[in-house]
Amino acid sequence: MMDDSELRQRFERLRNADRDRVPAFVQTYERARARQPLRVTPRIRPFVIGAAAAVLLVTVWMARARSFSHSETTPAIATWRAPTDVLLDTPGSELLGAMPALGASVLDKMIPTHSMRGT
Amino acid sequence: MDDVELRRQLERMHAECFGWAMACCGRDSDDAEEILQTVYLKVLDGHAHYDGRSSFRTWMFGVIRRTAASQRRTSWLRGLLLDRDGESVRPEAPSPPDANVESDSRSQTLRNALAQLAARQQQVLQLVFYHDLTVDEAAAVMGTSVGSARTHYARGKARLATLLGDAGDL
Repeated sequence: MMDDSELRQRFERLRNADRDRVPAFVQTYERARARQPLRVTPRIRPFVIGAAAAVLLVTVWMARARSFSHSETTPAIATWRAPTDVLLDTPGSELLGAMPALGASVLDKMIPTHSMRGT
Repeated sequence: MDDVELRRQLERMHAECFGWAMACCGRDSDDAEEILQTVYLKVLDGHAHYDGRSSFRTWMFGVIRRTAASQRRTSWLRGLLLDRDGESVRPEAPSPPDANVESDSRSQTLRNALAQLAARQQQVLQLVFYHDLTVDEAAAVMGTSVGSARTHYARGKARLATLLGDAGDL
């Protein structure tokens, strides 16, 4: 296993080799000074992100509020009837829906009375 | 720290900062100089402010690491968004003078071995062996916990020894 001192020697050689490629400090420093100042976008970026998030939140909130609100055409639950309720109206259902009286016949309802016949 | 003192500190550390910038950008000297320019600009503009919580060198190395990472992300994004055909071809970096061919060859062997390590392992070994920082200081520069830095250090050192041994350069 290579010991630390040997690794240090190798890195020392690498450092010496790199030293030949180091640009002059004045050159780097003056180039940095000559460059445009850093853009201000990093400063305004949080505000832009915040504003976009606020707009998104309001949009989502409005969309949800609209989907949950009752429109005027929406029927109330008490008056609503299923579209298939008509299938339950079978012939003769009015005979079975009422309690028959004693001594009366279910046929009485089917035979027109005199008063009805007169009209 | 006033501007004169700041400039004096930067000048004193220039070569070392360049070496660290080289390590942070895949050992490309042009990229390293561009990183250093951005870092100096940040320091001069006050975008990077030294608050004295760590040594100036540790702080500068941290700024260089973050700037290099930021530039790497930017260039990656630019590569995604822009047509790469329009990019200018960068000329090859001039080879260093071959006054000591054996030394250059050994340095190249170490560079090749380092390139095969994970980025964190490269960084911690560079900071410890090249810049003579402690592992704790290296952790501060890398923005990781000391335990994590120690793990990267141990694994990186073992892997580097294996790679250098395989290269037959012992």
